[in-house]
Amino acid sequence: MTARLIMKLRVADAVATTPEVLHLGLVHPARPELPAWTAGAHVDLRLPDGRVRQYSLCGDPADRGRYEIAIKREEAGRGGSAWAHDTLAPGAFAHVSAPRNNFPLDPDARRHLLVAGGIGVTPLLAMARALSASGAEYAFHLCAPSPEQAPLLAAVRTVCGPRLSCWFGSEGRRFDPDALGPAEPGTHVYACGPQRLMDAVQSGLVARGWPVERVHSEHFAPLRDESFVPEPFEARIASTGQVLHVPADRSLLDVLRSAGFDLPSSCELGVCGSCECGYRDGTVIHRDAVLPHAKRRSRMMPCVSRARDAVTLDL
Amino acid sequence: MTGETRGAMPGETAPRMVEAFAHAAGSAAVRVPGGAAGWVGTLTHIHIAPAASYEMEAVSEAVCVAGRGIEGDRYFLGTGTYSPKPDVREVTLIEQEALDALNRNDPPLQEGPLRLLPGDHRRNLTVRGVPLNHLVGRRFRVGAVILRGGRLNFPCRYLEELLGMPVYLPLYNRSGLNCGIESGGVIRPGDAIALLD
Repeated sequence: MTARLIMKLRVADAVATTPEVLHLGLVHPARPELPAWTAGAHVDLRLPDGRVRQYSLCGDPADRGRYEIAIKREEAGRGGSAWAHDTLAPGAFAHVSAPRNNFPLDPDARRHLLVAGGIGVTPLLAMARALSASGAEYAFHLCAPSPEQAPLLAAVRTVCGPRLSCWFGSEGRRFDPDALGPAEPGTHVYACGPQRLMDAVQSGLVARGWPVERVHSEHFAPLRDESFVPEPFEARIASTGQVLHVPADRSLLDVLRSAGFDLPSSCELGVCGSCECGYRDGTVIHRDAVLPHAKRRSRMMPCVSRARDAVTLDL
Repeated sequence: MTGETRGAMPGETAPRMVEAFAHAAGSAAVRVPGGAAGWVGTLTHIHIAPAASYEMEAVSEAVCVAGRGIEGDRYFLGTGTYSPKPDVREVTLIEQEALDALNRNDPPLQEGPLRLLPGDHRRNLTVRGVPLNHLVGRRFRVGAVILRGGRLNFPCRYLEELLGMPVYLPLYNRSGLNCGIESGGVIRPGDAIALLD
């Protein structure tokens, strides 16, 4: 995890892309260029009360002059999206972090299949822009209840053209992972959307023989595992030999913090990737939704993940 | 590791501001005669940030409060991140000449020139014509405000991460000066800077 600069950006434009989704353009009041980013990246939006929300960038990674995000109003949420909808009018300022990418395009892929559900369209639209610009082979599957409720539909149509397939419930078309075809070598799938769609894509494709490392996804919400019973364990600090006891009712991140390790953190739900740290040995119980499988042998998210008996942390 | 580092390490207490001259570097230097004298420098920019990681904002004037810092800045508010080692960090300064050198790729410790604007470096005051490395343990005047030089600042990995630039090595030993405020007041870009003793 690297530290990220927090900038005070000005809302240049705010447009309702659907009745529920606000599409924002953000610019720096003094600098012509913002920090560079790659498709799939997100920024942290700082709310006035100190809380932090992650939003994927949906604009053009080649345009360094502005960031674009789209925020769905969640009436049953924790208040962040309602604050954004009520406050972020043109001319308003928002504290926004430099981007970070937990959901990158695979550089070795030869063909990309993008599956978006609802507001999950945001990182995938940026991917489509990057893939179009580089002339890569890709297809875009957009799932929504209806065209009117599909955020950024006009932009997706413009960028993807004939590569776009729409799956609107109102038209009786429901997305089926079979639409992605067989697992051809070099083809990677990227999915972002509601949990139901993610589960269908993940489990559907793996059941159809797709290697798990070629099915990438980004989650908005923590993984649900109500049956998980946390147990106490020991965390050993590699640099000092210090042993910390992590009780069943506290997170590893919390215990580390109490011991003076000031790890960056943001969502504390296992989705943002801010608190990532390395470990050397021990059986880690990964409970996050962000760390790629390939990194799970040596990295973990101490906000939600735990260990069986003991773990030695690279701190 | 000083500069803007991430919080206290285990077993160490939170950062504590101490008298600049009580710091080992300052107390040794204050008794030693010599150093560059006869110069007159200028304050070119003032920047403050409300908290750690927040982008620095340029201001056209700043209120310096003795024993605390610049009003509205993280050092004043106690919301910054810095080394837990005893140090004085009420105001930090850096030489424009050091930034110019990075822009010339001097020394060539990185792939190419580094363009660091005032404010990118996260020090409060950008100055020209002021030999900051000579001001450890010295009193000097910025406009009507009197500062005391504490220990030299050092670049850190946190700064590199925030900037996304490899500034650690090229800024080594010219990363500015941490100061205490002996006598407060209002400062503005353009103020003259001069050695007192």
